[in-house]
Amino acid sequence: MKFIINEYPSVAEQTRRGILHRVPLRVAVAAVGILILGFLALGAYFIRPVDARSVDLQRVLNAPSFGHPFGTDEVGRDLGIRLLHGLRVSFAISILAAIVAILIGGLAGLVAGTLGHWVDSLFMRIVDFVSSQNHLLLGILLVVLFRPIMGGAAAIVLSVGMTHWTTMARIVRGELLSLRERPFISAAINGGANRLRLGWRHYLPHLLPSMGLGLVLLVPHAIFHESALSFLGLGLPPHQASLGNILADGRRSLLAGAWWTSFFPGGLIFIVVLGIGTVGEYLRDLLSPRWRSELEL
Amino acid sequence: MAPLLQVSGLSVRFRTPYGIVRALSDVQLTIHSGELLVVVGESGSGKTVLADTIFRLLPLNSEVRGSVRLDGKELLTLSPDAMRSVRSRSLALIPQSPGTALNPVRRIGTLLLEVARARGLSAKEGEEGLARGLDEVGLGWDSISRMYAHQLSGGMQQRVVNALAFVGTPDLVIADEPTSGLEDDLVDATVAQLKRIRGRGAAILVITHDLRFAQKLDGQIGLMYASYLVESAPSGIFFALPAHPYGRGLLQALPEHGGIPIPGSPVELTALPSCCVFAERCSVRKPRCFRESPPMYPVDGDNHRARCVLYAESERNQ
Amino acid sequence: MATITAPAVFCMLKANGISKRYWTRKGWVTALDNVSLCLPETGRVALLGPSGSGKSTLGKILSLLLRPDSGTVVLDGAPVLRWRTKTPPALRRQVQLVWQSPRLAVDPRMRIKQIILEPMAVQNLVPVKRAERATVLGRWTERVGLTDELLDRYPHEISEGQLQRACLARALIVQPRYLICDELSSMLDVSTQASLLAAIRSEQDRRKMGVLLITHDRILAMHWCDSIATLSLSRILI
Repeated sequence: MKFIINEYPSVAEQTRRGILHRVPLRVAVAAVGILILGFLALGAYFIRPVDARSVDLQRVLNAPSFGHPFGTDEVGRDLGIRLLHGLRVSFAISILAAIVAILIGGLAGLVAGTLGHWVDSLFMRIVDFVSSQNHLLLGILLVVLFRPIMGGAAAIVLSVGMTHWTTMARIVRGELLSLRERPFISAAINGGANRLRLGWRHYLPHLLPSMGLGLVLLVPHAIFHESALSFLGLGLPPHQASLGNILADGRRSLLAGAWWTSFFPGGLIFIVVLGIGTVGEYLRDLLSPRWRSELEL
Repeated sequence: MAPLLQVSGLSVRFRTPYGIVRALSDVQLTIHSGELLVVVGESGSGKTVLADTIFRLLPLNSEVRGSVRLDGKELLTLSPDAMRSVRSRSLALIPQSPGTALNPVRRIGTLLLEVARARGLSAKEGEEGLARGLDEVGLGWDSISRMYAHQLSGGMQQRVVNALAFVGTPDLVIADEPTSGLEDDLVDATVAQLKRIRGRGAAILVITHDLRFAQKLDGQIGLMYASYLVESAPSGIFFALPAHPYGRGLLQALPEHGGIPIPGSPVELTALPSCCVFAERCSVRKPRCFRESPPMYPVDGDNHRARCVLYAESERNQ
Repeated sequence: MATITAPAVFCMLKANGISKRYWTRKGWVTALDNVSLCLPETGRVALLGPSGSGKSTLGKILSLLLRPDSGTVVLDGAPVLRWRTKTPPALRRQVQLVWQSPRLAVDPRMRIKQIILEPMAVQNLVPVKRAERATVLGRWTERVGLTDELLDRYPHEISEGQLQRACLARALIVQPRYLICDELSSMLDVSTQASLLAAIRSEQDRRKMGVLLITHDRILAMHWCDSIATLSLSRILI
């Protein structure tokens, strides 16, 4: 007699449809969307800048048409191509900025967690101070300070990096504090490890997943922050198109009735931020409770 | 007398990313009311899975074959509701790690009363029964009921959880490793408690890897190795001279008997051989042992069986 | 009449008046109260006592992983001044500890062979050539009874018993003068326990090493060890 009490597809079948079956629809859509946009952004390298900057005053502010699916802007440039470049620039800067934030935060958290005692307290007070400021205002201040010294792009990267490192610092420090108590760290010390070796060989590999996740979650923030700064005119110079810039330019023509110059850049910012955020949150929920769920007999 | 619990031909396997894990293979055992069966084996031998199967608490990727009858009723085909009612009225489980079994955000009294109510007792009866049960394990209802689980030591937590077996009138009590982490005097107390429960007419199934504890319980021993039940014998006979070579190896490994380890290491449950599972490590193996998987042979009367070709008719006559 | 007195035993590891308290929600809990213990450089000593009596604490202090509130630890004649990460490597090699739960005591992200070799790597003693490394590893896995094919696996892929063997190999690979086992096998079955103890014993036959076995199993202590110390209510009894 054979009873199958709990029906479950075989492992092969599970693998075949399991992954698609378990990922929510919105996450799959978001992931696909972001990938497409990413490819497009990379593809922007192949479109010669000339096309993007080809100003043709006879085609000023044309509504979306067959020749220019996204319309043209106030100096006649094809908006679609400009958006593509803008996407590339925004992606590049935001990812770079997020990486800087993660590195600063990670380092701060690592130092605070390892050295402990008064160093830890000092760092945490700094973290509290920075994170209690308004991101945007602080960001504006930093951009204004750095811009004359190192140019628009680097200023934005630094500005975003220095305002967003605090979350990562807290996370890393928290994880570090719990890691320190675990017996395998004592075992490593028993083997003779000093603090440097502990940090490099034992703490870091355990922290990398959180840092990677933090990176993914930080990118939408960075994009938004960068767009906001550029929109205010504090970001990149106008010839280096970024989504925020394009949006700022478009604002001026809005009253003239050209809706596409604001709608498409704004819409793109919205899509990118929402998309990356969705995927990032899904990954975060996936990784936190269930680390390794092997069957334990 | 009809048996209370009858398990026959029970095989359980799990589908995991590492392959198909055979947790139980062709297990057959019987327990009557008032009997005490001690299932002994190392971790990974399948003993916990046995308890989980009787309780129908298996995970989603499990596959079960065979029959488990409680009081004549087949448990494996019951509907979830029917099974739930069986669980609350006729079965009692003393879980393995009481620290994780007790809800940390509830007071002990609330938790215990919940179980009592599920067993069909009214609130008043529940309190009385629990007071008695806690008294049996040496704790006081008044002092314990208001505390939280984390305020008690491991030993006390184990005793609280043991007390649950006294509440209501379960027909079958399954105790999963009731002495892990307990010292000798508490182990003796647990033995006494279990014997008292048995005295009230319930049948008890104890799962343990602690051989000394098993010996003190003085019941029927069921030895498991690598998903098979390899020997079933009364306690006195088993500890004097086990029939199965694995049993002998285990006793020899005890420090008081020489501390001689069994050569080799336990078999992986994803790669069980089709011949005798113990053959690789057996000191008295024969060529025959690598060709066939032996069934349970009677050794000495009804109560003593062993899964070893040494006791096959053909071998005995030599 | 001349009296023959036995020569004074040289204490490889000595604890003098060790005290340690922990801060818990209920206030200060005294784990150890003025405990003194002399551990000879050969032989096997058992440390018995009920759970929570501070046996593990003493074990950690004696292996220089925990700093006592008061009292001193003398290792090989010299008092210990630096604890945990500050202990000089030369001193680290002398005392090694094996934990109760092997799963918690290994870095889950390292392979078994890396785990075993780690104490050597830290002391810069790992042979560079792969073949030599394999020989060293092979020697130790044989001594503790670990199957070679498990070396490339991760901890979550092997059983507790085998993991504990790996931990033992890790402790012995630096050839310590003293080995402390904290409830080595209370979570393991009898056969694995016997196997691990036999491995420790043969290591003691091979070279001079003392062993402290912290356990709550009285019968084991009586049959395997030469002398027994009992820790009760934070004090040593014998």
